[in-house]
Amino acid sequence: MPKHAVRLVLLLVIFGALAVAARYFLVDKSYYKYGYYRGDAVMEIAQDKPRYQGTAYCESCHSDKVSEWSKSVHNNPDAGKVVKCEVCHGPAGSRDPQQHYMHAATGRVHPDDLKMAIPTDTQALCKLCHEQTAGRPSQQRQIVVKDHAGALQCTLCHNPHSPGTFVGSLAAPEHRGDAEAGKGKIATCLDCHGANGISAGLPGPTLAGQNQTYLIATLTEYKTGKRNDPMMAPIAAAMSDADIKDIAAYFSSLKCKSAANTAEQTAAAHEAGASVCVNCHGANGSSADRGWPNLVGQSKDYIVGTLKAYAGGQRPNTAMNALAKGMNDADVEKLAAYYAGYSCK
Amino acid sequence: MDELKMNEKEQIETCQSSRRAVLGYLGSAIAGSVAMIATGAMLPKAAHAAEAAPPVPALPGYDWSKHRWAFGVDATKCIGCLRCVEACKAENEVAGDAHHFRTWVERYVTLEGEEHARIDSQADPVNIAASGSEKEYRFANRYAGEKVEKAFFVPKLCNQCTHPACVQVCPVGATFKTADGIVVIDHTYCIGCEYCVQACPYGARFFNEEQGVSDKCTWCYHRITKGLQPACVEVCPVGARVFGDRNDKQSPISQFLANNRVQVLKPESGNAPNVFYVGIDKEVI
Amino acid sequence: MDHLFAVAPFTGYVYPNETIFGWSIMIVIYPYLSGLVAASFTVSSLYQVFGIKRLRPVAHFALLTSLCLMLFVPVSLMLHLGHPERALNSMFTPHWSSAMAMFGYLAGMYILLLVLEIWFIFRPYIVQRAQSGKSLMARLYNLASLGSHDLSEAAISHDRKWIFALAVTGIPAAHGFHGYTGFIFGSLKSREWWSSDLMPVIFLFSSIISGVALITVLYVLSCKLRKVAVDTDCLKGLGYTLWGFVMFTLILEGVEFGSVVYKAKEGIDIIMEYVTTRLVVPFFLLQFAVGAVTPTIILSYVFWKRATGKVLVAAITVSAALALLNVLMMRFNVIIGGQEISKTGHGLLQFPWVFLGRHGVLAGISVLAAPFVLLSILVRLLPPWVDGKNCNKAIA
Repeated sequence: MPKHAVRLVLLLVIFGALAVAARYFLVDKSYYKYGYYRGDAVMEIAQDKPRYQGTAYCESCHSDKVSEWSKSVHNNPDAGKVVKCEVCHGPAGSRDPQQHYMHAATGRVHPDDLKMAIPTDTQALCKLCHEQTAGRPSQQRQIVVKDHAGALQCTLCHNPHSPGTFVGSLAAPEHRGDAEAGKGKIATCLDCHGANGISAGLPGPTLAGQNQTYLIATLTEYKTGKRNDPMMAPIAAAMSDADIKDIAAYFSSLKCKSAANTAEQTAAAHEAGASVCVNCHGANGSSADRGWPNLVGQSKDYIVGTLKAYAGGQRPNTAMNALAKGMNDADVEKLAAYYAGYSCK
Repeated sequence: MDELKMNEKEQIETCQSSRRAVLGYLGSAIAGSVAMIATGAMLPKAAHAAEAAPPVPALPGYDWSKHRWAFGVDATKCIGCLRCVEACKAENEVAGDAHHFRTWVERYVTLEGEEHARIDSQADPVNIAASGSEKEYRFANRYAGEKVEKAFFVPKLCNQCTHPACVQVCPVGATFKTADGIVVIDHTYCIGCEYCVQACPYGARFFNEEQGVSDKCTWCYHRITKGLQPACVEVCPVGARVFGDRNDKQSPISQFLANNRVQVLKPESGNAPNVFYVGIDKEVI
Repeated sequence: MDHLFAVAPFTGYVYPNETIFGWSIMIVIYPYLSGLVAASFTVSSLYQVFGIKRLRPVAHFALLTSLCLMLFVPVSLMLHLGHPERALNSMFTPHWSSAMAMFGYLAGMYILLLVLEIWFIFRPYIVQRAQSGKSLMARLYNLASLGSHDLSEAAISHDRKWIFALAVTGIPAAHGFHGYTGFIFGSLKSREWWSSDLMPVIFLFSSIISGVALITVLYVLSCKLRKVAVDTDCLKGLGYTLWGFVMFTLILEGVEFGSVVYKAKEGIDIIMEYVTTRLVVPFFLLQFAVGAVTPTIILSYVFWKRATGKVLVAAITVSAALALLNVLMMRFNVIIGGQEISKTGHGLLQFPWVFLGRHGVLAGISVLAAPFVLLSILVRLLPPWVDGKNCNKAIA
């Protein structure tokens, strides 16, 4: 072979040897350990730190919330429905963001250095599962939230940890006054609220058949000054807690019932623009919850006046202030006229 | 699914894989000798692999030879709340936008008088507008005024196929199937050619531009090897996602497979997926 | 994050992850360049192995062209990779079930083969220059000659054996290399538009078109630049080759498309929607009508009329330029078109054009232009001309 060819072959051999050596030094030693891949990668990937910690992790500090939740409709394993803490609050752990994709075994953990999110826009949150949407299976509880609550936050009424129970009645404990004793303490009431508690044109609202819990709450608010009224404040101030319970028991025992809440009535209520009202006050003015007042038996003027007081903020109530502010005069007139149509029978 | 048939199938699969291995070594031998001439690279240490060094990686309290993971999706239960999608993004540090998903949810809606379903996912511009952010996901109530004949949601994720096309095409062995059945990516070895992204018939893979590597769902390998459930299963409020070990006859997935008639996506691809679906329609792709 | 990727708008339903095109301009350029490599090598081998003497004026030039193009094939891929610094992983730990694992070896082998063949062919010239004095260039040529200035009869005949062996090895290597590029796409079952057994064949034949066309255009151009008369006999040879392969490929692509339409498998609806809307201009007009049918008609006409002189040169050159467009559009329509049809079979995406950046059009044009800059330098270092006043007598 000529000299140049020999040199060429030699050059190729040197080049080849360098490549072999490079490969020997550069290939990871764990490659081919389990197959055509870097064996150590398995361990590295598995070492990543989990972010979602599970309900048991939350329970160690928040056992009250967890126990409330565990008995609720949001924890119903038999029906296959379990809304765990981290579904709404987000993961209780994080990974070190600098280690992104580099198999991070470090990161922050709640409560040490990671604050959990408390959802503020609960309507947006709850709608993720409960807004009526094409595609949601029928067994899923779903509503048209706009019609159900307007722009109100869901947690105004629902306890998010146990949404089947309502904040209103939860807040008001069970009260039992003596209606007979109460009958002897109402002499001053009748001038304004009418005999048998039916106002019929007098300045005060109808009290007959009103929810006991609501009456107690209202009288207590007058007594403590939380709610102000030149007429009621001094009267309530003179009452003892026992008096309030007894008087509430007496008025709630009086009859003022409208007919059953029918589908026709609901349709009529919607017609009158009361589709939001019916959720709490019923289509016929009978409240769905003891914490909220019945509207049956109230005059149109009284309802208009009350809504104006809510809108103006003279009467404080988170839900009603927000709702009343959203109504114009025509809305108020129409609503009041509608509910005034249900008088005591 | 018929257990006996499954066993048979696996035996065949095992045979195939050993045959494949032999072919692989043969191929590497031939190509290797070609390579010797060309660049002088050495034969891959195929013999080394055959000697079978430690068969189990050193994971605390976990033996990968004892597990056979599988995933079930009950589309009749999914409510499309997309908690799984957000949980996955958080758990796995996936880019918070509408173009990178390890898991996603599709919605199929057939309107009265229409022949084909309308399909969208949380990444659809209408749904992104409804959520108000590319980092949060929400199905817009876009069919509220329409007459809907049939509608359902279908969660999607990596099928961890028995014959993964993505692993087949990876030129460097950066993506591989673990002994317990999960296809993972070695992000420190991936060259970022995106061949695997092209090869996946299910669109389960995506490219992380920031890191220059491909990425995909791993069924939260870092969780399941610690006895936890994948993040999407952990947060699913209605039990539409089922996960477990097929070696354990009492596991949720074994029960799911025993009690349902399941199907897989695109079986004609030959990939043999390991995500089993209940309650999906002919239109689901 | 917007600067990192461009989002493709879509209609219908596409998988969420599909809205970013994985393979863009660089992957269009890669098969285009590698096709040009394979075919320009073939042109030189037609002379070296099969003794087609009329191609002598372009044989060496084609070889240099092939090398210059080949050096930029890996560049296009490296620009595409997310981690180009890890590219050698595919040669250190190749995963043999991957069509792409072969690339490093095939490309490396092919570059080596080209360098060796060029070295043996130009050795007399290199030695001549090495002996021409003590200048820096002379020293470099001396290094390139490996210090052996043996130009004896025996040494030259020994070299001829090498050249022949390399040219023979190069033919299957070139076509294997490019057919394999077609396999990269054809073997993917995830995309209806790519998944075809004919893909390697179509890639191969279209590559021959592009290579022959390129050599034609470059040869005519070089003659004009060197002010040398075009060897019409040689040009005619190239013209005939081009004519045959354009017709053959036209039929092959027609049959392939026809069989997709005729079989009408699942997903045909979206393919038909695609080709009848978005693909009308790039596919039917640019690729088929302008790029393939027009050159066929022009070439048929001039060969039928036995045209000579300037008409013949102009006709063949124009046809070759159109054929180059045909193949570029074919690459584009396959690689980008395949991704514009969603894997869902229920949606279409629109390729988002990006002009700047690593994957942009500007980078693409640069990679396409760079080989010719390199070639213009290389023909001065190793003149391949065997005619005219720049004739390289050492190798003529």
